[in-house]
Amino acid sequence: MEQQVVKLTDAENQLADLLKAAGANDASNALSAHGLPHRRIEEYHYTDLRTLLRDVPSDLAQANDRLPDVQFEGYGRIVIVNGKLVHADEIGGVEIKSADAAAKSVGNDQIINLMDGLAQNQIEITINTSLDKPIHIAHVHDGPDSVVADKVRVTTAEGVHATIVETFEGANARGLRFANFALDVAADAEMLHVQLDQNAEGARQFVQNTYDLHENANLRTLASHANFKLGRTDIKADFKGEGAHADFAGLTLLMDQQHGDFTLNVNHGVPNTTSTETFKSIVRDRAKAIFQGKIIVAPDAQKTDAQMMSQGLLLSERAEVLVKPELEIFADDVLCAHGATCGELDEDALFYLMSRGIKRAEAESMLIRAFLAELFDEMENEQVRDKLGDRVDAWLAAAE
Amino acid sequence: MTTPILEIKNLHVKVEEEDKKILKGVDLTLPAGEVHAIMGRNGSGKSTLSYVLAGKEGYEVTEGEILFMGKDLLEMEADERAAAGLFLAFQYPIEIPGVATMTFLKAALNAQRKTRGEEELKVPEFMKLVKDAANQLEIKQDMLKRPLNVGFSGGEKKRAEILQMALMQPSLCVLDETDSGLDIDALKIVSDGVNHLRDANRSMLVITHYQRLLNYIVPDRVHVFSDGRVVESGDRELALELEKKGYAEFDGTAA
Repeated sequence: MEQQVVKLTDAENQLADLLKAAGANDASNALSAHGLPHRRIEEYHYTDLRTLLRDVPSDLAQANDRLPDVQFEGYGRIVIVNGKLVHADEIGGVEIKSADAAAKSVGNDQIINLMDGLAQNQIEITINTSLDKPIHIAHVHDGPDSVVADKVRVTTAEGVHATIVETFEGANARGLRFANFALDVAADAEMLHVQLDQNAEGARQFVQNTYDLHENANLRTLASHANFKLGRTDIKADFKGEGAHADFAGLTLLMDQQHGDFTLNVNHGVPNTTSTETFKSIVRDRAKAIFQGKIIVAPDAQKTDAQMMSQGLLLSERAEVLVKPELEIFADDVLCAHGATCGELDEDALFYLMSRGIKRAEAESMLIRAFLAELFDEMENEQVRDKLGDRVDAWLAAAE
Repeated sequence: MTTPILEIKNLHVKVEEEDKKILKGVDLTLPAGEVHAIMGRNGSGKSTLSYVLAGKEGYEVTEGEILFMGKDLLEMEADERAAAGLFLAFQYPIEIPGVATMTFLKAALNAQRKTRGEEELKVPEFMKLVKDAANQLEIKQDMLKRPLNVGFSGGEKKRAEILQMALMQPSLCVLDETDSGLDIDALKIVSDGVNHLRDANRSMLVITHYQRLLNYIVPDRVHVFSDGRVVESGDRELALELEKKGYAEFDGTAA
């Protein structure tokens, strides 16, 4: 076996120790051998964690019963604080339980190994019937600076319709959060999954969402990157049944030196499945937004239609949007397209609005909202749309 | 003597960060209630003049001044000029995807009112204003729901400009090649819209390179523009003469 010689950073040593303390010896050894993912590992080329993640809290989060601030009127609420299930509303047709996190085999991605290795509990949600009211899963990270790993598994019965909104919040100023979410969308089921980040300014957050889509399943997702110092959301989707469709969307609003990375891996493994990706990023100051989208079409996955679009709006000279589309198509009768745009606010449009009496700041915010409109228009859930709108307002206000 | 709506004195303008001079000593006085036409060939600086009046960035005034109702126009931001009563009807109205025309109209009207220290329009009041003005220009409600200028035909874009002008009730209307891209029917609707706004307290500067528009919007005076300045002024007969003889007669250069 090839011997890796890596001089580990303090942060890496600390994380390896945490894994060991959590009983994840294999993951700990793998991390000690390879270190955190860095720029020479392709999936992390733009998010070099050996550089970006130098300072890590030394302890795992302790039990805490702080309730979340973010509320959704009329939703069934499930509250996970510092990795533990602390509250779950009675929701008809839904089973919710907390189990010991199942041991996982170790893979090549050290971040995923950390997620799996550090999670003590696995919250299992089974949706047996269609739901009138959405489920809100509130992830809270509280107490002194610490590392937390949440794990949620959702399974659905055939044909159910349901909405899951997750929020990540916490006053853990330098916190490091791992969150692992898996959703199995059964045949004919229709699911909406939204993730809104409401972390403290200095928070670091790594999320992995895994979706399995069965026959004629329908999935819409939306995730936001706005409130953290460093964040990465890894989205993996597997089309396992014909006729399934998924829309993946992302909203990135970053400033100062924030760094946000959306990495998608959409695998069309069977014929007749369709997907869209719509990711919009607005960055200012020295912020960096990354979008990496990989679409894989298996050899017999004929009639796949996969559309990827990433759009960036740069509001400062030193802000960056980095985009990497990858298509691996092994079938011959498919429609796949990827597009990326990146630009500044249109000066002609600004002048036009100003020439009608609208002040520059308001004109800018009109154009920014217009840029994002597509994401909002597609979102039928009103409370989610309002929360996103508030987020955009707050971001614009903070930037002024 | 009443203050003219617009006084342009010895205006010299160049493109910012370039040596290219575009306006080379424009003098023009536009009294209240009058309609003046500026005619000139392409590239003579007509559109630059309209942009400088409206406050577009990217130009540098190197000499001269512009007084708008006695005030120094060049000191004002584009939005302040609009609130003070200056309106530019664009030659090429900008498409703004994601902003519904109605939303835009409301934002613009209220922004101007706010700058002037007036109260915002109530929604029913606003709806009625828009409906009346739209009807007069044969603009369908459906068009107002669409994103601003997106997918509008040439005629629709120009009608939308005149609709804005009607709603904003400016003291000075600058119409930049409003006839371009219009067929005869659309030209008539747009001209009627403009003529309807002629008023003793409102002045208009109509920029065009065809005499045709001036058959519909009859000017009080005509100025011939060449190489960045006014080379000849006269009554509306001058436009006809220009049409007959061509620009070369006036600026001494072949077309």
